[in-house]
Amino acid sequence: MAEDGLASHKRDPIKSSVGSVAAQKRRQNAVAVGKERRESLVRAKRLCRVGISGDSDIPLDSDMMIDEEQSILEAQTLSAVEELKSAIAFQGKGAMQKKVGALRELRRLLSRSEFPPVEAALKAGAVPLLVQCLSFGSPDEQLLEAAWCLTNIAAGKPEETKALLPALPLLIAHLGEKSSLPVAEQCAWALGNVAGEGEDLRNVLLAQGALLPIARMMLPNKGSTVRTAAWALSNLIKGPDSKAATELIRVDGVLDAICRHLRKADEELATEVAWVVVYLSALSNFATNMLVKSDVLQLLIQRLATSNSLQLLIPLLRSLGNLIAGDSHTISAILIPGREITDNIIEVLVKCLKSEHRVLKKEAAWVLSNIAAGSVEHKQFVYSSEAVPLLLRLLSTAPFDIRKEVAYVLGNLCVAPAEGNGKPDLILEHLVPLVGRGCLPAFIDLVRSVDTEAARLGLQFIELVLRGMPNGEGPKLVEQEDGIEAMERFQFHENEDLRNMANGLVDRYFGEDYGLDELAD
Amino acid sequence: MATVVDMDAKGELGFPYWTPVRRRLSPDSPFFAYGNIQRELFAKQVALDLTEDEKNQLQNLVDEDGRDIFCPIVGCGARLTFLEDFEDHYNARHAASCSVCSRVYPTSGLLSIHVSEAHDSFFQAKVARGYAMYECLVEGCGLKFKNYKSRQQHLVDKHKFPRAFEFFKKAHPSKKARQKHQRKQAIQKRGETSSKMEVEGETIDGLVSGVSRLSTSDSSPSSISFGHHHTRGFIFLPRAVKRENSTHNGTKG
Repeated sequence: MAEDGLASHKRDPIKSSVGSVAAQKRRQNAVAVGKERRESLVRAKRLCRVGISGDSDIPLDSDMMIDEEQSILEAQTLSAVEELKSAIAFQGKGAMQKKVGALRELRRLLSRSEFPPVEAALKAGAVPLLVQCLSFGSPDEQLLEAAWCLTNIAAGKPEETKALLPALPLLIAHLGEKSSLPVAEQCAWALGNVAGEGEDLRNVLLAQGALLPIARMMLPNKGSTVRTAAWALSNLIKGPDSKAATELIRVDGVLDAICRHLRKADEELATEVAWVVVYLSALSNFATNMLVKSDVLQLLIQRLATSNSLQLLIPLLRSLGNLIAGDSHTISAILIPGREITDNIIEVLVKCLKSEHRVLKKEAAWVLSNIAAGSVEHKQFVYSSEAVPLLLRLLSTAPFDIRKEVAYVLGNLCVAPAEGNGKPDLILEHLVPLVGRGCLPAFIDLVRSVDTEAARLGLQFIELVLRGMPNGEGPKLVEQEDGIEAMERFQFHENEDLRNMANGLVDRYFGEDYGLDELAD
Repeated sequence: MATVVDMDAKGELGFPYWTPVRRRLSPDSPFFAYGNIQRELFAKQVALDLTEDEKNQLQNLVDEDGRDIFCPIVGCGARLTFLEDFEDHYNARHAASCSVCSRVYPTSGLLSIHVSEAHDSFFQAKVARGYAMYECLVEGCGLKFKNYKSRQQHLVDKHKFPRAFEFFKKAHPSKKARQKHQRKQAIQKRGETSSKMEVEGETIDGLVSGVSRLSTSDSSPSSISFGHHHTRGFIFLPRAVKRENSTHNGTKG
């Protein structure tokens, strides 16, 4: 449907409800703008509005005169801002239409390509003018256009986003429940961009009270506003300070809305909400606690089982991981072996381990390692699940970072929960078969890696083998896999911990007497 | 980064035993970097006003020409055509990168060789003791050489590499580094031998017999060995004794 309401000169009378302007005439398409900056060459390929160069049929692939196009665009932007300036100053009849018309022109220039002429607009002094257009009592259409301009300015480079500072209080104010929905949404969008810039701006927004009104916009069941609000919220609470996350979960209705959306929303909305849960669970203990006590765990698992969108799976898995890592209650009271939810979570983690996506494999292994750090029953449960054969396979084929996580799982399966300060007990029913299935070489390999953490893990596992394998088999097995050699390398190593660990093992298990009886003849 | 052990359950060895603990990670932990990448691309969103046609055209651009995304890994900025390509790009460009000096290699095999030769003091120690440590770079060949030059020669002679070729620059530790390393070794040797002698009450006789056992059972490594050369029955003596032997190479049988 070639919607010309905005492109052509046929305009709706101002009296038409903003709803129709927004919902029917306006087609918005959110496009991601990478944080890394673009080259002007790239701009040429971007969709550039026909109106600018005057032709109606520009082949998109053509190597256009980029610079020329850019400078035309900039000139037009400059004049649009000038136009706005005089419209604002104008006192006579039809002042309102003049303002809206000028705003619309500027908005068009700022919203036809993924790389709007933001710098030109700022240089021409757009922001103070736009702030004036946000004054209370202004007609909705005016508010909408102004907020839209600010949105796209804020989507630019860091200094461009910062340029919105003078506009923030007004943008926040127009989030209020008395504002029309499209206006509120557009303001939330602008604020979301500002929050996405960095910690400093986030703090300003929080201090100015942006959290509560945006949170409320997430409560309804559906609509584009809900999605925009959820996205803006995720940017707002992502920290590193935990205060915002704690504040958010306390807002009346938020927890309920999160559950509702995780359960029923379409994948796009669910993705935004899942990211909110990621930050809630990663930053705030209070929020984690409340989430664990609600249905969220169950819902995350269900959604993980049914979805196939990587964009959604990532935050779902991450949230799950955070809730398990962040609160002991999750494993000790909810994910009890024998319960259906526990069966389901293993299924879902196995699904992730089988995925072709590296990130899902790695983070699923991380989650499993935390489950395997639970009670003996948890370890038995994981050990006898479908996960172990997969993990063993990953141990030999996967990239390093995944192997490291798998190492955590397997090691955790072999050691009982620590009691007091002594040596934790070994679980030989797991250690012996796992070593039998050939996992030792992989651990010895970790010892050789440059990563200190991995080397440490490897040495700790070797210790388990040396100590625990029955019939004194441990040392022989380690030697067979060149473990001695691997440990030797720490003799001169600069890391004192690793040096002491390796040397300690070698001294104790491969001392003078080692292998002597074999040589005796 | 996550802590591996909350409290080191150190026993009589002083060894930090494996203790299963839940590991909690903060949202900006490098662990999550890869998963965050796609999210980062959506940190800011531009509101575009497109007609149906334009939307279709944009979609075609995405499908045919590909959307221009740039790799967000610090310092990379490589241009990617599809978001899906990111996984390939990452594996190719960032997975086999040296965590010490950030050099990137096309295979994990070459990365591993680089790490050994450039950053591993154990490797250098073995080289200094005359072991053949420099591996041939051609996968499947398996030969090893005592020094960089002879490996280089092998590549040229056997595998027809161009003479000027240098995959790995020879690792020349600076004079300072060499001196530092030698000093460290000397200190360790001294410290260890004296403490060992006192603490374990080793007699000189015991040491001598231990060393002679070492010299008869330990086969000296040949200049070229295939793969891991590990003699069965090789006695791994306490470090003190071993070092004694190595410094007195000429005098012991």
